[in-house]
Formats: sequence, structure tokens, C-alpha cells
Amino acid sequence: MLFLLFRRLAGAAFVLSIASSLQAAPSNKDLIKSRQDKLRDMGGALKAIDDELKKRSQDWDNTILPNAQTLKDRSSYLLNWFPKGSGPESGVKTYALPSVWQKADDFTRLGKTMQGEVAKLAQVAASKDAGALKTQVFALGKACKACHDDYRSPDYEKENDE
Amino acid sequence: MTTAEIMGEQAGVSGTARVWDLPIRLMHWALVLSIAVCWWTGMHNELEYHLYSGYAVLWIVLMRLYWGFAGSSTARFVNFVRGPRAVFAYACTLPRRDTPHVHGHNALGAISVLAMLGLVLAVVVLGLFAVDVDGLYSGPLSSYVSFRGGRHIAHLHYKWFNVLLWVIGLHLAAVVFYYIHKRHNLIFPMISGRRIAAAGGEVLEAAPLWRFLLGAVIASVLVWMVSIGFYF
Repeated sequence: MLFLLFRRLAGAAFVLSIASSLQAAPSNKDLIKSRQDKLRDMGGALKAIDDELKKRSQDWDNTILPNAQTLKDRSSYLLNWFPKGSGPESGVKTYALPSVWQKADDFTRLGKTMQGEVAKLAQVAASKDAGALKTQVFALGKACKACHDDYRSPDYEKENDE
Repeated sequence: MTTAEIMGEQAGVSGTARVWDLPIRLMHWALVLSIAVCWWTGMHNELEYHLYSGYAVLWIVLMRLYWGFAGSSTARFVNFVRGPRAVFAYACTLPRRDTPHVHGHNALGAISVLAMLGLVLAVVVLGLFAVDVDGLYSGPLSSYVSFRGGRHIAHLHYKWFNVLLWVIGLHLAAVVFYYIHKRHNLIFPMISGRRIAAAGGEVLEAAPLWRFLLGAVIASVLVWMVSIGFYF
């Protein structure tokens, strides 16, 4: 009887361990790759809007609004992409500097500023005012730069963006 | 003290001849200054000013290419670009200390000129397509490439600039070599336009000012068109 109970418990524990390993946190390698992909999506979305604004007339519905939405979707999760341990100490190639975690409060503040600028950008995009959107694209770019200057290693220290 | 006296004193020869016209000298020193500004602003992520200094470099390179066909005699490619045999023959005279001044670029220096001009042009063109990671000051032609492609180009822009720095270093080393080994001051003629020379030697056939102004207008229009990414 006791033996049977033990076997059941062992079986349950085994099943649980399998289940939890399936749900285990992604490795740092996957996490950093995904972070880079998503940040690149955001860069691409901002570029698409900026490029469209160079033209005489803009395709709001097919280009600007969807890309503004991409920025909004991505930006709201950005601060979750930097869990502790996903910096250079992970051994994975990343351009995130250790200062992201050392000065976490400031990093978070800059992240929230960026989210505010993205929200504004989405609003301005909805109004379809090209002049105002140009100003807001610039404001968002400044928010990108504010964080990159202090928390991302400079371009010239890199092999490539991959 | 006149130019002739300064230079004559150095080499014990009196008499000078014009070798570099004013446009060449202005373009040379403006290029030095513009590349220095590009270098500093690039390394400090001050890309707004990096763009302006980059346009200055583009303008100067376009003008130098134009002057290589329409400019004064020593500026024209046809007058100083030589084949491998002439380059080799000149290179063989390098160890000798008694070689006379060459009127304009020598056969070996011509390779240096072409290499630097080509590299500067390549780095500028890569910069035109480079994407700024912040999306603030991407090159004016970056809308013709993808974000990822443009980021790749930004890295190439940096790598080829490093190659250019080595060639500039070689150019400076050559100037020092000529000064120390051959007692030829190459810097002063690039400032004054005159070199020491015996009377009755080669002369500079200077191109008229209007031809420079014509080129300046054409180069300015081209740089302006590039700067707006050909979105008219």
C-alpha cells in the first residue's frame, strides 16, 4: 500500500518535472536573440515611418499606421526584455551594457519615457498630420538615443548588428 | 621674408615655381578639416554634425574628381597617373637622396592620391546609405535599403574608414620620409603653392577661376540632390 502510494507520488513528480521543464524560462541565448529581433523590428518600424515621411504624399493606412502600431505593441513590453543575467555576463554576444542592471532605475525611467513618446507617436499618426508626425518621429529618435548612448555599446565596438 | 627665401634657405637653392593652384590647396586642407570633424563626430555619436561634415567631404571629393579633368595642369589625372613601369622606376629611386623635386605628384604618390580619393569616396557613399540605430540621422539615401541592410552598411562605413586612416597614416609617413631623408619639404608647397625650383623649369598651367566656379555649382547641386535623397 505504502509502496503503491510512493509509486504514484514518484510518477506524479516525474510528470510535473517534465511539465515544468517544458515551461522553463528560455535560455539567455534565445532571450537575447529575441530581444535583438524585437528591437530591430522597432528600428525598422520607425525607419518605415521616417522613409514614408520623406515622400510627397504618405500612405497612412498601409504604412504609417501599422508601423506605429508595431512600435506601440513592442514598446509596452520592452522593459521585460532585460531580466537579470541577460547581459554580457551571460556569455552570449550582446550589446546591452552591464549598466542596464547597475543603474536599473535610470534605465527604467528612460524606457518609460520612450513608451510615452511612442504613445504620442501613435496618437499623432492617427491624426494624419505629416508635419506633426515628423516632429514626433524626431522626439522618439531622441528617446532611443538617450538609452543607447548610456546602455548600449557604441557601434564602432561591434562586428555587426547580427 | 618671401616664400622663395624661406624655401631657398632650407635647400640652398634660390628660385621657386608655382606647383599647386589655390583650389587644390583649399580642397586639400578643407578635406583634412572635414575628415577630422567626421571622425570626431562619428566616434562621439554627434550624427547631426557628422552629416554636415560628410556632405562637405562629398562636395570636396566631387570637386577634386572634376578638377582632375578640368583643373590646372598638376591637378589633372592624365598628367600624374602613371603605369606600373613608371611607378616601379620611381620607387627604385626612393633610397637615393639626390633626386630632384617632381613638379606635382610623383608616380608613386599618384597611387596614394587615387587610393585616398577612392577610399574617401567609398566611405562617403557607404555613409549615404547607412542607417542610424536611433533613426535620427540616417544617411540621406538610407530609405533605399532595409533597416538591417542599412545597419550592415553603417558597420562597413566604419570598417572602411579605418582602412582610410591607415592610408592617411602612410601618406603622413611619406611626407615625413621626404622631409628627413630627401630634405624635400612637401608641406610648405601645399600651403604656399610654390616649390623650390631652378629657373626655366616646368610651369603650372593654371585653370581659370570660372571653371572652378562652374564645377562648384554642379557639385553643390549634386550634393543637394543627394541630401534630400532624390525626393523632389
